[in-house]
Amino acid sequence: MSGTGKQDVNWPVLAALVAAALLLVLGLLMARYEDEIYTAQQERDVGEQAQILAASITAAVSFDDEGAAQEYVRALTVNPQLRAAGVYGQRGTLIAHFARSGALPATAPEPGTQIAGGSMTITVPVNQDGHAIGAVILRADTESLQRRVTRYAGLILLVTMGALVIAVLSLSQAALIRRARQLTEVNTRLQVEMGERQKTEDALRQSQKMEAIGQLSGGIAHDFNNLIMIAKGNLRLLQRKLGTTMPNAAHHITQADEALDRATSLTQRVLAFSRRQPLSPQPVRLSELIAGIGELLRHSVGERTTIQTSLDAQWWTLCDVNQMENVILNLAINARDAMPGGGTLVIATRDAALSHAPADVTDFTPGDYVLVSLRDSGEGMSEDVRRRALDPFFTTKPQGKGTGLGLSMAFGFVRQSNGHLAIESAPGAGTTIAIYMPRYRESES
Amino acid sequence: MRTARLVCAVVLLAACVAGAVSADISLEYAIRAAYLAKFAPFIEWPDSAFATPGAAINICILGSDPFGAALDRAAASVTGGRPLLVRRLASPELASACQILYLANNEAAASLPAGLSERPVVTVSEAGGAGMIAFVVDGNHVRFDIDDDAAQHSGIHISSKLLSLAHAVKHKAAAP
Repeated sequence: MSGTGKQDVNWPVLAALVAAALLLVLGLLMARYEDEIYTAQQERDVGEQAQILAASITAAVSFDDEGAAQEYVRALTVNPQLRAAGVYGQRGTLIAHFARSGALPATAPEPGTQIAGGSMTITVPVNQDGHAIGAVILRADTESLQRRVTRYAGLILLVTMGALVIAVLSLSQAALIRRARQLTEVNTRLQVEMGERQKTEDALRQSQKMEAIGQLSGGIAHDFNNLIMIAKGNLRLLQRKLGTTMPNAAHHITQADEALDRATSLTQRVLAFSRRQPLSPQPVRLSELIAGIGELLRHSVGERTTIQTSLDAQWWTLCDVNQMENVILNLAINARDAMPGGGTLVIATRDAALSHAPADVTDFTPGDYVLVSLRDSGEGMSEDVRRRALDPFFTTKPQGKGTGLGLSMAFGFVRQSNGHLAIESAPGAGTTIAIYMPRYRESES
Repeated sequence: MRTARLVCAVVLLAACVAGAVSADISLEYAIRAAYLAKFAPFIEWPDSAFATPGAAINICILGSDPFGAALDRAAASVTGGRPLLVRRLASPELASACQILYLANNEAAASLPAGLSERPVVTVSEAGGAGMIAFVVDGNHVRFDIDDDAAQHSGIHISSKLLSLAHAVKHKAAAP
């Protein structure tokens, strides 16, 4: 990522530098070319002036009229580009001249052009009937420093502006690319966070629903329990009164009593789910607890279900031992029912220091937990079923076979014991019920 | 402007012709001799002035010759164009064969044939003489006046370069 980012930044800058260098080279070439053109132009101009002077000064040279020659020369001073001008007479000596700077040769040089030190000196013969009778010399700047500086300054300005424009464009493009990538990243993160938030909200809603149902059903079950107690007490009184006089009534009373027992059991389970059952928690090692009910478990699940245990947990936890045994038995029976053709149930315990909440677990405090897991090799659950599995009275079993309270009761008990319960399942991949019980340290010292 | 113009310093010309100056003629006449020869390149004669296209320019002297050998040397020194020949005329009748005619004195001028002013002959005289070109002495300098009107009347064209060196020029009063 950083590698490509670096490339993205470097390429435009490199391109800008190359473009600027090209511009500069091109500009220099153009300036050089212009210089040459200008020099040639200047040479032509000055040469023409020299020719004109030479042609018009013939008589003055011929008659050695220095005054006339001087007048012609003086007329040239109006041209600011001319540094010096001179006329050589018939004897090759200077008969008229002016010089703003520098000195003219004392005797006539050979006709031609000399360019040196920013100035050109052009010597032209003064001809009369094809014979040289003298010479005219003109010296001019090849180009004024000011003009050259101005031209190069303009060029440098142009190149700089061009390079700047390219650089700014490149940088802004790079910035745009970077911004776009950042936006994409932020967007992705936002999507992920939205998904997580959705999950959290779902879990929260689920837990609030359970809470509400628990309170409602718990309240009803509690009152129901009292009513059942009253009914049972009265049945017992009725049995005592009628037991001797009406032997036939005893059978009906027993039937009613048994029904009330079942109702009691039901209300107990509802209470367990609603976390309002009376618990007597005590320190326990879950590995030992499970080992202790091993025979009972095997008996409950039957021969077609093989139980494998892997009891590695050493830490203690605090819970109602009887209820915990009940929960594990219930879960084992659930697992058996999920494997009608038989299968393997793996019961495992281990110590786990958790820094993050397991999936679908809310209200979680990071810390040390004793983990109990029951994994069956059954048919598994669809996602929809899995999500509703903890709802009270939700069952996939045929009518009359299940109460739909097993898992919700287990959930209620575990939550009441400050633990957590999570279901992991997928169709065809079996189901794993995980119980996280907080570690209880006081028994370990 | 023209009056303000300085002409060659006599001193410089003295150096130029010093070798040519013999004891019998003055420096002034040596300069005049050089001028006589140098006029030729700046004067255009009509073709009718010459017998053949390559014919020489005759520089004639009418009257007593004040130049002596100086004029011959001056004529020889002017190269290019037509050759210059110096002729000392014995008779004014021959004047029409000349291209430049120096009138040594007023008698010579007076003896000229009547029709000469119509002929393409450049007459040269001293100041106040009858010549188209007249030598004048301005301060220490030998200069010359030009009567361009008379020259044009004779079909002679005098170069503006030469006119520009003149001390004074007489132009046609009013060009038609």
